[in-house]
Amino acid sequence: MSDPAPSASPEHHAHASDDAARSGLSRRSMLAATAGLTVSMSGCIREVRSIVNRDEVEQLSLTISTVPADGDRESIQLARAVGSALESVGVDIAIDMLSHEEFRRAILVNHDFDLYVGPHPGDTTPDFLYELLHSRFAEEAGWQNPFGLTNLAIDDRLDAQRVAAGGTGNGGGEEDGTDTTNENENENNDREDAITATLESVAREQPFIPICRPTEIRLARSDRYEGWGDGHPATRFGYLGLEPQSESAAAELRTVNTDARPSQNLNPLSAEYRERNIVVGLLYDSLAVVRWRGDESTVAGGEQADADTDTDTDSDLDPDSATDITPWLAADWEWTDEETLHVTLREDCEFHDGTSLTAEDVAFTYEFLADTTRGSRRFSAPTPHYRGQVAAIDDVTEVSETELEFTVATSQPVAERALAVPILPKHIWDERTDQASLRGVTVAEGTTEALVTDNVPAIGSGPYQFGNRTDREHLTLARFDEHFTRRSGVDLPKPTSERLRIQIDPRSTSAIELVESDSADVTLSTLESYVVDDVFEDDGEVPETTILESPSWSFYHVGFNARKAPFSNPRFRRVVAQLLDKEHLVEEVFHGYAEPIATPVVEQWVPDSLAWNGNDPETPFLGTDGDLDVAAAREAFEEAGLRYDDDGNLRVRH
Amino acid sequence: MLTQVLLQLTVVVTLMVLVSIAVFVGRYRLRDTRLEWRARVRAAAPVTALLAAVLLFNSVARQYGPDVSWMIHWNLTWPIYDVEGEFILWLQSFEAPAITAYFSFIYIYGYVFLLVFPVIAYFALSNTRPLRELLTAYTLNYVLGLGIYVFIVAYGPRNMMPELVDALLYDTYPQYQHLTRQVNRNTNVFPSLHTSLAATVTFLAFRTRAIYPKWFLLATGLGVSVAISTMYLGIHWAIDVAAGIVLAYICVALAGFLVGRWSVTAWVASLRDSNPSPSTSTGTDTNPDTDPNPGSSSGSEPKADAGTPDTTPSESEPETGSDPEPERA
Repeated sequence: MSDPAPSASPEHHAHASDDAARSGLSRRSMLAATAGLTVSMSGCIREVRSIVNRDEVEQLSLTISTVPADGDRESIQLARAVGSALESVGVDIAIDMLSHEEFRRAILVNHDFDLYVGPHPGDTTPDFLYELLHSRFAEEAGWQNPFGLTNLAIDDRLDAQRVAAGGTGNGGGEEDGTDTTNENENENNDREDAITATLESVAREQPFIPICRPTEIRLARSDRYEGWGDGHPATRFGYLGLEPQSESAAAELRTVNTDARPSQNLNPLSAEYRERNIVVGLLYDSLAVVRWRGDESTVAGGEQADADTDTDTDSDLDPDSATDITPWLAADWEWTDEETLHVTLREDCEFHDGTSLTAEDVAFTYEFLADTTRGSRRFSAPTPHYRGQVAAIDDVTEVSETELEFTVATSQPVAERALAVPILPKHIWDERTDQASLRGVTVAEGTTEALVTDNVPAIGSGPYQFGNRTDREHLTLARFDEHFTRRSGVDLPKPTSERLRIQIDPRSTSAIELVESDSADVTLSTLESYVVDDVFEDDGEVPETTILESPSWSFYHVGFNARKAPFSNPRFRRVVAQLLDKEHLVEEVFHGYAEPIATPVVEQWVPDSLAWNGNDPETPFLGTDGDLDVAAAREAFEEAGLRYDDDGNLRVRH
Repeated sequence: MLTQVLLQLTVVVTLMVLVSIAVFVGRYRLRDTRLEWRARVRAAAPVTALLAAVLLFNSVARQYGPDVSWMIHWNLTWPIYDVEGEFILWLQSFEAPAITAYFSFIYIYGYVFLLVFPVIAYFALSNTRPLRELLTAYTLNYVLGLGIYVFIVAYGPRNMMPELVDALLYDTYPQYQHLTRQVNRNTNVFPSLHTSLAATVTFLAFRTRAIYPKWFLLATGLGVSVAISTMYLGIHWAIDVAAGIVLAYICVALAGFLVGRWSVTAWVASLRDSNPSPSTSTGTDTNPDTDPNPGSSSGSEPKADAGTPDTTPSESEPETGSDPEPERA
């Protein structure tokens, strides 16, 4: 019955189960021996048997997986907060610190964890919940139901959300959300209701505990470039369309990143190495791109709904504003009927190696992402990224060199989201369908070369191409002069600097110093919240720098492995959620640069029932000001059907 | 940024070394050194070559070691934290800007000085045994420490308790991050190589206290400071430091045992004579075992040998069993 020991404290777990086994065995054999000697009546033997053969209910002992503070100071602090809350209610805990790659491999690929704490990349619309929580993805790798949640009620909600009619239109602002003044309100109702229903069910089930949404703070040099913040700096648009103010700025845009992974791997499909996809966005094009409304000040593409007039924050990028989907590699698209999307590509686009990009590559990409073995094996190997998007597409047909028809099985806004996947060159990725092999090692089924390749140099068609790299030091990209954004007549943000260098520097403090001393132009990764106050203080002293404050769609959360008891029990999960004072954590861990949340979607989609009201509307904190009311918490566990022993340990069959 | 930090480090350490030479080594030893340096270089050359090879291998191993470590995956972070709890926090409760400045200085400059100066100080002695013991002990530290790093994954206090343990060094002086990340990986904290190398110098300074009494005092002070600095700055756990001291003790003991046991010069000479005596033939057998890179050391040896072949036997003779103490008088 005991879990396979999670990696952090193998000894620990092993000891526990060893002891149990030893005491259990000795007790059993002793009792059996004495019973055999002294008891002659068969009824008594039966009673002894029923006593002896009952397994011990042991203290709940769990491991919280997370990443070390280098590069993500917040996760480990949250993990320790969760750990100490659990310890105070009689749970034995261990914290397993894993490197970024190992963490993602354990959580997203091997599903080998009890609880984990970390950020989720999130998305601008709630449609990512489909692949995150639908039971049909529980076996897949990546942010595809890593919790292993299998709940038919939630499946139904997610299916309904996927087809609920929303706004229609081509790159329009159909997702204007909850704003009651919006004229699209009626059209949106079905979709909005379906999303609200999903979010409420998810909040009730708590397959993961959403904690907070951090504010993204970056530091940039305003003397070198103009146009910072016109595009969201977590997307490619933060780095395209900048106006260099000097020749050296036109030669090289110097960014600094705390995470070393972009210097190690450029595979857009890697579960372990890809997260925010900024680099993928620069190296690869997609048919359409998701833009924050804030992006439009420099971009005049596509019809735009009027920006909300009630923007009240000082930031250019208001979380209330909608995102929209704009044609990018596609020149245009059109709905020919409810389920057919006709896409026209831009003419004469090329990959970085000079091969021309045609409808064949596009069709290949969608087929390949759904199964990277391309049907060569019975055991399919879907990509760990873009799964929800690709699953929305039933079929892709090439009509001509530059025209395609997509048959979709979802509502139109959901299907249009599928246009934002990176287009891969067929002549390169078609070679990567084989099972990866390593002499003398049995490779896990479904591990195709495509999923584990470093993909260096990356050949895409994006605005920048691979230049060179040094492991844990830098990745340098070179401008792709043939990119369509550089053509006359295309009014989209274009790459301006000849090179884009991503310098790796593992701490925010030294990254800031690089920017302040004019050795870097912008911090690509967000600054860790503990230095943000200092940055605001310094801002006056270094007039050449500017602070970019942008809303985030990523969120921190605690994930449960619902494949194991007792995490499979929603009542248990709900009580654990109530042990956390999210507001207090935001103050303590994020220094106030985050917002506590009860549901994992961007603000415009949050239903009133799940809006933060000073406490969590669904799982309110059992205590005040960060102090857990331990008695109440224990009572809550007991109400949920769990039991304590005389020593105050929570005992659970697991 | 990196070059600037490196330059600063070089200048400061050079100054410290020069002052220390004046204070601890003295004119007479320098005068002797000017006359005898060739012989001393020759005596120390094999172990120096070995150390160089290990350091080269080290830079490669640091690159790929973590990949191997994660495959073996013995993660000690939580057990260490569970055992020693909040000792680091207690240590950090004494935080004050002056103390932080002192320990940051010790961690970077004091440490490098502590490793560099004894090489020069022992080189200034006619008896080359302390020098060879020192270099051997350095080599052993790296070999053993690196071996442990491959098997064990552990993160330091600053990665476990970032909000409590201020990573003082890197936040107060962010430029040093550029320096230390060239040589350190954040999963390699058990044992503390900073401590073990510093303790190695201190232990050897104890052995040579009769020759350099004042240096012994300074080395002890610096060694203790380095050990405390690694904990105070949130880089190592107390257990890492304890393990570092144990490692240093083992290395010094092993170095004392190994040095003078085999002589490369004698071995080369015996090969030349092509008439090996029984005693040197054992050396021929064992030498390849102790030297993972025989090519480099034996390759460098004949060159030095070619100049003055006559001095070779006499040079290798007195080293076995001779104590540093009788040498000075």
